[in-house]
Amino acid sequence: MSIVQARGLTKRYPGVTALDNVDLDLPAGRVGLVGANGAGKTTLFRLLLGLSRPDAGTIDVFGIPVADDPIAVRSRIGYMPEHDCLPLDQTAADVVATFGELGGLPVRAARQRASEVLDLVGLDEARFRPVGGFSTGMRQRTKLAQAIVADPKLVLLDEPTAGLDPSGREEMLALVARLATFGIAVVLATHLLDDVARVCDHVVMLDAGRLVTDAPTTSLLKQTGAVTVDVGPAAVPALTVALTARGLLVATADLGGSLEVTVSTDADLDAIRDVVADLGLPLHRLTNRLTSLDDVFVHRPPAPLPPAAPAEAS
Amino acid sequence: MSTGGAVYDRGYRPYDGILGGRRASATALYRTSLRRAIGLRRPWRQKVMPFVLLAIAVVPAVVNVGVGYLTRDTPARDFSFITYREYVGVSSALLLFVALVAPDLMCPDRRQRVLSLIFARPLTGVDYVLAKVGAIFTCVFAFSFLPQVVLYVGQMLVSDGALDYLRHNTAVLWQVPVAVALLALFYAVLGVAVASLSGRRIVAGATLLGITLVSSSVSAIIVESSRGHGPDVPGHPAALLNILALPLYVRDLVFLGHLGDRSPLSGVTGGGALAVACYLAVVGAGIAVLLVRYRSAEL
Repeated sequence: MSIVQARGLTKRYPGVTALDNVDLDLPAGRVGLVGANGAGKTTLFRLLLGLSRPDAGTIDVFGIPVADDPIAVRSRIGYMPEHDCLPLDQTAADVVATFGELGGLPVRAARQRASEVLDLVGLDEARFRPVGGFSTGMRQRTKLAQAIVADPKLVLLDEPTAGLDPSGREEMLALVARLATFGIAVVLATHLLDDVARVCDHVVMLDAGRLVTDAPTTSLLKQTGAVTVDVGPAAVPALTVALTARGLLVATADLGGSLEVTVSTDADLDAIRDVVADLGLPLHRLTNRLTSLDDVFVHRPPAPLPPAAPAEAS
Repeated sequence: MSTGGAVYDRGYRPYDGILGGRRASATALYRTSLRRAIGLRRPWRQKVMPFVLLAIAVVPAVVNVGVGYLTRDTPARDFSFITYREYVGVSSALLLFVALVAPDLMCPDRRQRVLSLIFARPLTGVDYVLAKVGAIFTCVFAFSFLPQVVLYVGQMLVSDGALDYLRHNTAVLWQVPVAVALLALFYAVLGVAVASLSGRRIVAGATLLGITLVSSSVSAIIVESSRGHGPDVPGHPAALLNILALPLYVRDLVFLGHLGDRSPLSGVTGGGALAVACYLAVVGAGIAVLLVRYRSAEL
């Protein structure tokens, strides 16, 4: 069942069409909304929240038309913007409790839940410190905490890993992955395709305001008929020669110690195993090579050219 | 007996209570703004200013009651340092309070882009404006009304008969709250509207003080240069240019039914009606600015 349904959704700003006749059916769970900067991701969030009106089309959230009752929709949604948006002179506990109250929680429940969600995002010991003294990672966690404190049914996350170092990014993705297990549907907007491939089970891809893909992640990450063989950098040349001698097509060789070998039958896999064993190489990895979201994005249909300006009458 | 410890991941607990709707959210924003205005849940430095200003506002009442107590058995016992009417809006501390607190409530929301989080809640631009104006209104009303309560109760206690005092001063029981409410509404709308136009607190506060200073100076110059001197000299319509005086003219109408004898507007034909019209125009313009400003922020 769709939690978000859009039909013919169009939003124009002066000089640019942010969303162009987009049809969407977003399921519950973790949905990745991917696209380059300016693809229309933030515009879609603003339309979902009822903070902006579409020029054409409709959008329903949990079966509620946003245009008819934006307040009811907002009471079911948590929102984590991409940009800085926290009051810097307040403590994390006060910020999260305040937004809990604004989300409709009674005062005492808001304080209690603020404590709980700050604990959940790993800020339990820092909750009485002013947000202005927080690192980027801590601010992102605070933003996530305020988004979920009022127990939303759907949370919109706009670039939650932006500005985070690798470990911070891992922790944020782990938190996002956990949200669905709490019964909170997630729409994760990002331009980092790897984040979506790792966390989301459904992908919506936008390009210049047009819908490119709206499909389960698994349907996009198909087998390519190749396997990745990882034997370490030093063994790559010898293995390449040996596999070629056995009549196997080595598609790609990189300097990271792995090869991509085209296979068509199980016998080809047996041959790879035997060659590696004959050469006495350590086999670190032998996996099917799947298409990546990058492949989908790179091979997307080209965006139509904007209409030419009318020629001036001479 | 177990000697080992255990670490529990408490995870996430869904909220099983009932979430409030738009009214609850708007009330929460009002409550939060009020807390911020009087410095609650903020460093002690933020708490000092509101209560110092409240203390300053109470001083005339305490002095008046003290004088009444000291002269209770003398021929000067009916001397009054300040009347209830004069006490409404007499203290510059209120203006200073609004010039400091209104920008503090409004500017960070815009400058730190908190509005995007606020309007993602079940709130509208109208709710936001009402909550902010309501918070300032409550503070100004309380800081104006509490000293009047001190004055009334004190005067009643030092009078010859408390019941007689009450009987002879029943009118002020409605005049004071009405006049104070009109003053607080004026200050709150003006202060919040001016503060909404800037993202910087210092600019917003200085603008508010500047508007009041310039308007009162220009008004005074025109009025004084256009009329002669003496108790019976009529006032001048230019007195309406003094923005800060508008709620005081309306106050006079509440207490006296007409403008005060020493008002710079007294003697002007239809002066009372003009004062009310200007008061409503300023309040209406302030509300219009706020609604336009935050309607566009919401959308």
